[in-house]
Amino acid sequence: MSLLIEPIQSKKSLGDEGILFVRNDSIFDTMVKVPLLVASMIIVAALLPIQSSFSSPRDLDLIIYPDGSTHVSTEIDVDPFLTDYEVNLFGNTIDNLVVIGDSGFLLDVDVIGDTALIQTFGSSVITIEYDIHDLVSKQGRLWTFSLDSPSDFTLLLPKNSAIVGMTNLPLNMEIINEQNQLTLSSGSTEIDYFFSTNSISNPNEEIKNEEDDSLNTIIAGIVGGIIAIALVSIVVIARNRQKNIKKIDEQIIEKTVTVQKNNILDLEEIFKLKPDLREDDKELVKFIFDNNGEVLESELRKKFLQPRTTMWRAVKRLEREGIIEIEKKDLQNLVKLRKDMEEDN
Amino acid sequence: MKKLALFAIIVLIFGTISPSLANQAYGQNDPSILLRIATQADKQIVNQLDKKYQNEIPNNINILYEKGHRAVESLDKSLSNNDIEKAKQDFLLAMNSFMQISRSISQSSEKVIVVSVSQKSNQNLESKLDRLEKYVKTLESISSKHKIEQNGNNFTTAYSLILEIRNQINTNEDSSKNIDELKDLIKSIKNEIRNSMAEKQSNSIKNFFEKFLVQIDQKLMQAKDLGRDEIEIDRANELILEIRELLSKNQINDAKTVYSELKVVLKNIGISVKIT
Repeated sequence: MSLLIEPIQSKKSLGDEGILFVRNDSIFDTMVKVPLLVASMIIVAALLPIQSSFSSPRDLDLIIYPDGSTHVSTEIDVDPFLTDYEVNLFGNTIDNLVVIGDSGFLLDVDVIGDTALIQTFGSSVITIEYDIHDLVSKQGRLWTFSLDSPSDFTLLLPKNSAIVGMTNLPLNMEIINEQNQLTLSSGSTEIDYFFSTNSISNPNEEIKNEEDDSLNTIIAGIVGGIIAIALVSIVVIARNRQKNIKKIDEQIIEKTVTVQKNNILDLEEIFKLKPDLREDDKELVKFIFDNNGEVLESELRKKFLQPRTTMWRAVKRLEREGIIEIEKKDLQNLVKLRKDMEEDN
Repeated sequence: MKKLALFAIIVLIFGTISPSLANQAYGQNDPSILLRIATQADKQIVNQLDKKYQNEIPNNINILYEKGHRAVESLDKSLSNNDIEKAKQDFLLAMNSFMQISRSISQSSEKVIVVSVSQKSNQNLESKLDRLEKYVKTLESISSKHKIEQNGNNFTTAYSLILEIRNQINTNEDSSKNIDELKDLIKSIKNEIRNSMAEKQSNSIKNFFEKFLVQIDQKLMQAKDLGRDEIEIDRANELILEIRELLSKNQINDAKTVYSELKVVLKNIGISVKIT
């Protein structure tokens, strides 16, 4: 009777001299149940976004006025199964408070101190806008902005203000209408500024500001990478199983409708090609169309009164749909309707 | 099958860690902005020091300035060498030094005034008007989205008032009367929006309440079985009946008011108000 202990699935891996050789894949098969691992990974991947979904602002944009008052604009994911939602405001001197539900309805709010109780009644995303006088203080000629933010945020400083001190690293900075806009990370931030003439140097002399492009490129790269890996693997697996599928491209090409008329497509044709377009996206497309098919992203923000990140997402959505293309013009995003586009299946 | 499963694992691992990768990448977005901000701050500090002390800068401030200025130079070098971590340290050191100097200058001003801008005396009329204009634009956007007709074209009136107030501010005239008028107008615009929306909004709120009240009914029955306070349970049932009656009459706002009472009663009974 052999005294060797043989792993159940690896008898062949035992050497002639009785030395125990165990192949890596055997260990994997024996010790780790692959389906179990896949299932747990799926659970982890699914839980991650849920962890940070409700109650955390998805967008937070602040504008400081010359008198130190601040306009706050934020979008928050809320639990649609609750009748109301309590949100902490950044102070208790609140003016011009507006809360809008995801269907665009004005929601009722009770403000007690620095807390707002919002009657959400099924809304899953709420937009809150208000003015506040608690975030900026003044000592002599020095103005100090202080905030302990629950999320990353953008901060538009007043015209002719010059930053002379800050406690955090900015994530980004751009110039909008001669005003500095900083993107800052969550946590406690203090920024000191003075008012002065010539506080913003000529953008032509500045090192080129890439706006959100670095972020966009990285995210697009990561997502693109995942998609590319997935596509390549699917193709390889499919080829191994069935080698006779070769005519897919021709069928897809047949489905592609390319219409070109007067350089850009007609609005009706666009909506016909993209029947599932969201109503607010249709409004954007209509506005771009009415402006000879191209418009700056900043003009879209101005027209539709949307925060920068919200508009950026909408523009990227339209780009993904193949309706528009984005070009750089004087350090700004120029949004152009595409001259040809594919029909949705 | 094994390969497919392995591939799924790789994709999932990558998908799980990719958000954190993106965050890190975002933090390093265009580090040259650090130099831009620090250089601007340096120039401003020099201006302030010139104005305040001319050639007689106190020694402690001079030391701080030298420290900040050297950090800006080092920041420039770190960026040239692509040493991002060092650049971040240099930036924080520079901005911290400049912050100390600017606070020191402000504290040593002849008139030291520390105010929170919530004090009305410090508010600037132009900023106030800008804020009101933004508020009007937000309301206009909601109004146009839901195609709400405003009586007597309130928005046109609001914008002409804003223009008038702006002119008054420029010519140093008293604009308080017009500002009050604008505020009243904004209130009436908001009420009009709320009233017009009430009808459209009522269906979605009714649907929500229907689901909600059915579940509360069930929870109340369970509470009764568990022997909870019967008086409170009866009170909750009465309020539910009242809400249903108000909803059938389309009195949404009254239903909401009664719902607020119901919430308190449910809390006393120990029932969660979340629907599932």
